[in-house]
Amino acid sequence: MRRRVLRRVVVTGAGAICSLADSVEDLQAALQEGRSGLKPVELFATNGLGPQQAGEVRPFEPRTWLGDRNLRPVDRTARLLLAAAQQALDASGWTPERRKDFEVGLVLGTMYCSIHTISEFDRRNVQLGPSYASPFDFANSVINAAAGQAAIWHHLWGVNSTIAAGEASGLVALTTAADLIRGGRATAVLAGGAEELCHESYLAFHRAGRLGAQRPVPFDARRDGMALGEGAAILVLEEADAAAGRGAAVLAEVLGHGAAFDPTGGEGSARAMERAVRLALEDAGLRPEEIDAVSTGANGSIEEDRREALGIAAALGGHAAAVPVTAVKSMLGEALGASGALQAVAALGTLRDGVLPGIPDLECTDEGFPLPAVSAQSRPVAARRILITASGGGGHCCALVLGQG
Amino acid sequence: MNHRIVVTGLGLVTPIGAGRERVWEGLLAGRCGFSTVESFDTSRHPAHVGAEIKGFQPEPYVRKQDPAKLGRASRLAVAAARMAMEDAGLDPDALDPDRAGVAMGTTSGEPLEVERFDDLLLAGGEGEIGPELATVYPCHTIASHVAREMGTAGPNAMIPTACAAGNYAVAWAYDAIRAGRADLMLAGGADAFSRITYTGFSRLGAIAPDVCRPFDRNRKGMIPGEGAGVLVLERLDRALARGARIYAEVAGYGLSCDAHHMTASHPEGDGPARAMERALADAGLRPEDVSYVSAHGTGTPTNDKLETLAVCRVFGPSPRVPISSVKSMIGHTMGAASAIEAAVCSLAIHTGRIPPTANFLEPDPECALDCVPNEARELAVEVAMNNAYAFGGNNASVLFRRCEAVA
Amino acid sequence: MSSDEIRGRIKQIIGNVAGMDPGRIQDGDHLRNDLNLDSLSLLEIGVDVDLAFQLGLPDERYKQIDSLPAMVGLVQERMEELSSQQQRVAVG
Repeated sequence: MRRRVLRRVVVTGAGAICSLADSVEDLQAALQEGRSGLKPVELFATNGLGPQQAGEVRPFEPRTWLGDRNLRPVDRTARLLLAAAQQALDASGWTPERRKDFEVGLVLGTMYCSIHTISEFDRRNVQLGPSYASPFDFANSVINAAAGQAAIWHHLWGVNSTIAAGEASGLVALTTAADLIRGGRATAVLAGGAEELCHESYLAFHRAGRLGAQRPVPFDARRDGMALGEGAAILVLEEADAAAGRGAAVLAEVLGHGAAFDPTGGEGSARAMERAVRLALEDAGLRPEEIDAVSTGANGSIEEDRREALGIAAALGGHAAAVPVTAVKSMLGEALGASGALQAVAALGTLRDGVLPGIPDLECTDEGFPLPAVSAQSRPVAARRILITASGGGGHCCALVLGQG
Repeated sequence: MNHRIVVTGLGLVTPIGAGRERVWEGLLAGRCGFSTVESFDTSRHPAHVGAEIKGFQPEPYVRKQDPAKLGRASRLAVAAARMAMEDAGLDPDALDPDRAGVAMGTTSGEPLEVERFDDLLLAGGEGEIGPELATVYPCHTIASHVAREMGTAGPNAMIPTACAAGNYAVAWAYDAIRAGRADLMLAGGADAFSRITYTGFSRLGAIAPDVCRPFDRNRKGMIPGEGAGVLVLERLDRALARGARIYAEVAGYGLSCDAHHMTASHPEGDGPARAMERALADAGLRPEDVSYVSAHGTGTPTNDKLETLAVCRVFGPSPRVPISSVKSMIGHTMGAASAIEAAVCSLAIHTGRIPPTANFLEPDPECALDCVPNEARELAVEVAMNNAYAFGGNNASVLFRRCEAVA
Repeated sequence: MSSDEIRGRIKQIIGNVAGMDPGRIQDGDHLRNDLNLDSLSLLEIGVDVDLAFQLGLPDERYKQIDSLPAMVGLVQERMEELSSQQQRVAVG
């Protein structure tokens, strides 16, 4: 039975740019076909370090979506966001005229926003002196810069916020936006995540031992780490009655969400994920058996994948053995702040097409792996409700249920 | 559920000292924390004054984690969090971890790690570079370290909305408790001094040569600083049940976005005015109910003028409500600023005194406000408004009110 | 370098920073009033001009520049100054 909430939150549009595709439809199709966006890195010199492949967005021509306006003050992270946001606005019918008189907000998840811009700013200061530090770069060195750029570019003068929760940022941003709408503080909010690939983060993740040598195969017993990705994904979330009132097409509903934090620095994250999923189910008024598929945030990391699976399984109880499960980061890489939102865009495709992407190259899982209904191939699912999970950012575990009523 | 939320603990680490008592006493006395920048070389910068925290020792406060593995902003944040819990009379180990959480704000995360990365890269290439940009630098580590120190497993948020981040964090925490997702939240902000931030503001010509003089006719700019402020927010019923000292109640908040320019405010103060109006509407209050305003008041010619415009739009021309800026004393502590200023509002209500705007010499006709020049004042504060405005046009106003439930 | 070349290069820089076609910039244009450049863009242009011509001038010199002719004049004057300094060094 659905728990009664005062305001229901629906999805009226989406936009996405990532290594695999530069539109929502192409992304959903490509994931369902099992194609990968991972490719040799060309954006910067890897100098032989690390896996040298990543989910790079290439080619990336922002003018395709953004026209002739001046892009010089806008860095790569913000350009990815602006493009995805443009798609989402177009798809949802939020025209410039409509936005003039009505506040549309933005909640953006990002881990770094732009560590590259900040470093460039600092390096120029060190090498040439403070008089030569770039003012444009400084404006982009605050972590809420991309959200600010998007508000200016797209005239989004509603509530504007940025959430930094590492790999979970995109999903946490979606839940924050949903809560703002439920709480009556906003009616229409663009929500999602954006992250760029750059030399700085690539080198750091490599030195942290997070990057695997092979293609990432989440949940596979041979997995040895993740690959980085980049991109931006935005969903337009709206209060249901208002969306109906303007005749908007509804792609899905945010049925519920939950979150918990692991303060132990790692070992407690299965428990935190279990709590997050339980809270999401409770919030949605759903029993575990009513979840038709799970899109996990597993990215090929040895311990993190295992803990996420344990937590989800503990919350789903007996249903864990049967529920179809996937991990799209197998094809997109770990796009950090954008990931959770990319997962949500993929889920919209599954809701519409009844197809759940597989995990390419998956051969065998760990002994005792608690979510056995994983597959290398994509397969049909009768999907009405999809559970999306994400963990990261030093302890965040987040769960969101998207579906149809 | 809409629980009432109160402030029961305050933790502050600032350029004029640490701890609620010391900082409040300093602010009331007009003590300033400006000095020549020591942590890096400013000889090639046009400005040389900052509000650095000198001699901060994290060890007494960072007990469950190794302070050496935390960035500076995290250390400041954990220290402020622990102080806030002690101030609230709460033992972190006695909390129900699932019902307690953390919301923090910041502007830069841990910029010293970026500086280290760059120094190493420029000196010798990649060989020496470690994992810190992935493990220490990301700003989510601030909220994560506070949660690890306090053992909280409930809602957790890192909201890096720059110079308004503290207010955004308080607002997020307030919503989390009201929605029934937590009974207690540690909410605040932290930022560390860095050459990156200092160089950026000096590049914009925004740094004053000597002191910060908000609203003064001859004000020349802001003084970058660092610090941390954390508030303990609790459900009122729980605070009463345990006999907690209640500083103030969180009455409501309002957010807005200029959508105008990355570093310059809207020329008519539109965004800030909307945030104030929204906060008042949210709290069910009118402008005349506000006893005191803690200004954003950075001391730049533009901010103070536009802030005045916005205040006048909401409170009427020549507003009588006293508005002071503690940035006149502690400088601009970035993500910590509005958290520290939220503590100031709570203390103003609790003690019946308001801090001054220091260094005020000459009124500016374009800032025709009662900025509480130079001398703290006794005032019965029923409602205090905390305003903060950030790069990217993020504006936030949070309202605090006296809690009548206090005996 | 002739003043035409200097002007052309500066127009390119302004065009790049402001996202406008350099061909649409008039020789006598006022940076704020005619070209609508905000203060952030003006700072960025100052840096790019200084780097392009290797002038080594402090920020403050650019703050006083409010028109294209003034910018061209500044660059020309500074380049002459630098060139005569170099000549003195070569001779001495």
